[in-house]
Amino acid sequence: MNIAVNKTPAELAYDGMLLPHPRLEDWKWTNLRVLIDRPYPPRLKVEAQTKDVERLLKRDPLAKIAHARIVFVNGVFDKASSNLPAGGAVRVTPHLAPLAAADEPVLEMNKAFADDGVHVEITSNIDAPVELVHVATDAEARTIATRHKITVADGAAATLFETHLGEGDYLTNSVIDVALGAGAKLDRVKLEIESREAIHLAHARITLGANAVLRDFTLTSGARVNRQNGTIAFTGEKADAKIAGSYLLSGRQHADTRLLVDHQMPKCTSREVFKCVMDERARGIFQGKVVVQRDAQKTDGKQSSHGLLLSETAEFDAKPELEIYADDVVCGHGATSGDIDHNHLFYLRSRGVPEAEAKSMLIVAFVAEAFETIGHEGVRDQLTHFAEQWLVSHKDAAP
Amino acid sequence: MLEVKNLHVKLAEEDRTILNGLTLDVKAGEVHAIMGPNGSGKSTLSYVLAGREGYEVTGGEVKFRGEDLLAMEPDQRAAKGLFLAFQYPIEIPGVATMQFLKVALNAQRKARGEKELTTPEFMRLVKDRASKLDIPQDMLKRAVNVGFSGGEKKRAEILQMAVLEPSLCILDETDSGLDIDALRVVADGVNALRSPERAMVVITHYQRLLDYIVPDYVHVLSQGRIVKSGGKELALELEAKGYAEFAKEAA
Repeated sequence: MNIAVNKTPAELAYDGMLLPHPRLEDWKWTNLRVLIDRPYPPRLKVEAQTKDVERLLKRDPLAKIAHARIVFVNGVFDKASSNLPAGGAVRVTPHLAPLAAADEPVLEMNKAFADDGVHVEITSNIDAPVELVHVATDAEARTIATRHKITVADGAAATLFETHLGEGDYLTNSVIDVALGAGAKLDRVKLEIESREAIHLAHARITLGANAVLRDFTLTSGARVNRQNGTIAFTGEKADAKIAGSYLLSGRQHADTRLLVDHQMPKCTSREVFKCVMDERARGIFQGKVVVQRDAQKTDGKQSSHGLLLSETAEFDAKPELEIYADDVVCGHGATSGDIDHNHLFYLRSRGVPEAEAKSMLIVAFVAEAFETIGHEGVRDQLTHFAEQWLVSHKDAAP
Repeated sequence: MLEVKNLHVKLAEEDRTILNGLTLDVKAGEVHAIMGPNGSGKSTLSYVLAGREGYEVTGGEVKFRGEDLLAMEPDQRAAKGLFLAFQYPIEIPGVATMQFLKVALNAQRKARGEKELTTPEFMRLVKDRASKLDIPQDMLKRAVNVGFSGGEKKRAEILQMAVLEPSLCILDETDSGLDIDALRVVADGVNALRSPERAMVVITHYQRLLDYIVPDYVHVLSQGRIVKSGGKELALELEAKGYAEFAKEAA
């Protein structure tokens, strides 16, 4: 799949493994051959100081909400800082099932380099949220790869958080496979607040059985380069998935989401809502493809992606695609991009709200539609607070 | 309170002069009405005073409570006590009315060095003011002006005014789009705020509003300047003669 070229320093550090060439359609906006501008050697063992891990874990906005935390430090399961779920409804076991050959660069990298991961099995309804936390400590530039598997049994329901944060320069490669059984329900929230120097590459593969319900939300705000692939496949009838996300990007941050929603079975519903905010020279990309297979009659699939540009140098690119082989379906997509409404801003300011605060209120209002996907109220409040503080915090951090 | 001296304003993007030597002196406790036909510069005056972008002041000055108003940001003007009731209040989807009002009030109090209100204190204040203006609680639960009727929007503006307690209220065509009952409610709300410490500038096209909000002074605005000033009887004279006749006479 790769086009032969001279190897980059990063590729040489990967034993010659090739990074995706931008001539590949899926990667045309994210040229990893240029963006990964230094070597990130894999399998580098890094000893973490307990105080560093504790400090980072405290920085996680979801820390106080998750009842059980499964902690990975520098890509390795850390029993000492984990708080494994009690009771029989959740089983956590080491997981490193071999990854089948996959014609996708992030998966290939993970197959070659992932050293650790867990299998979280949810066997019945659990109220208490479970969190998978990934912490990277400040050390040599390196690749940190993990691979997890989540299974939600037939009729079971759960709330699962996945958090990535760290300090220093590293590259995260995260693969997660999620399988929802018949009638299963999963609220999944992913929070990417990696170090500002970091690169975050991820691939989530989710399957939904008959009547399963998925609510999936991803907040992307940390890494300098972020690429997230998602594939959502309906393998049973009448399942329902809502996949939402928000970017809060500044500086020269780059985030690219490639989502494939595959309607294989009839009468399923999918909604994609992405609300992305870019400031300064940041660049956000959303590529969403909805495929409706021949047998997937009565599919209801809608996709929308919206960019809010806070500066003239920020950029948002959207590529919505529909591929429909069935004849009795309702599908649609919409994409927009624009700046803050100056009438809104003036109205708020005319009542005494200072400019930065007024802009923050409008940012929160803009992303609200995506945040509504978060089923857990406490998490929605925490992440809304994060969005409220975001503009002021990155302006303060700027030199 | 407000001293406008020989104010000249043009549109920033176009070479078109809107205000052309406007002078106005408003003292505490006074209510001034500014009347004029469409295009005379009424709304421009209100926007320039509130600090909206898109206008360029090419001459003159504006002092508000002794300070240079034009040098202040819109939020600073509000904190200093200026309030504009919009002719067309803006709908802001996703921003809750109560949260917006609380942030606005506390930002103003903070800027003035006053103690911020707690949520219960704020709720009591709003409930008290809302009941006087016939504003149901469920209206306050909605997003700012979203889904409000024309009358509800105007009442919501007056509610904001009653909560923020400004020292200078500028009412821009507050009567437009109101039926007689709604007009009475709005006017009662405005009259309740009249006080010796507070001034009001009521901008209107029709004399009707001035039956309910009785001004101390009436000014006629034509082609960007005040062409005649007088007492409340001037409004009636204007209504009888019409603006065209009046502008001719004044010129």
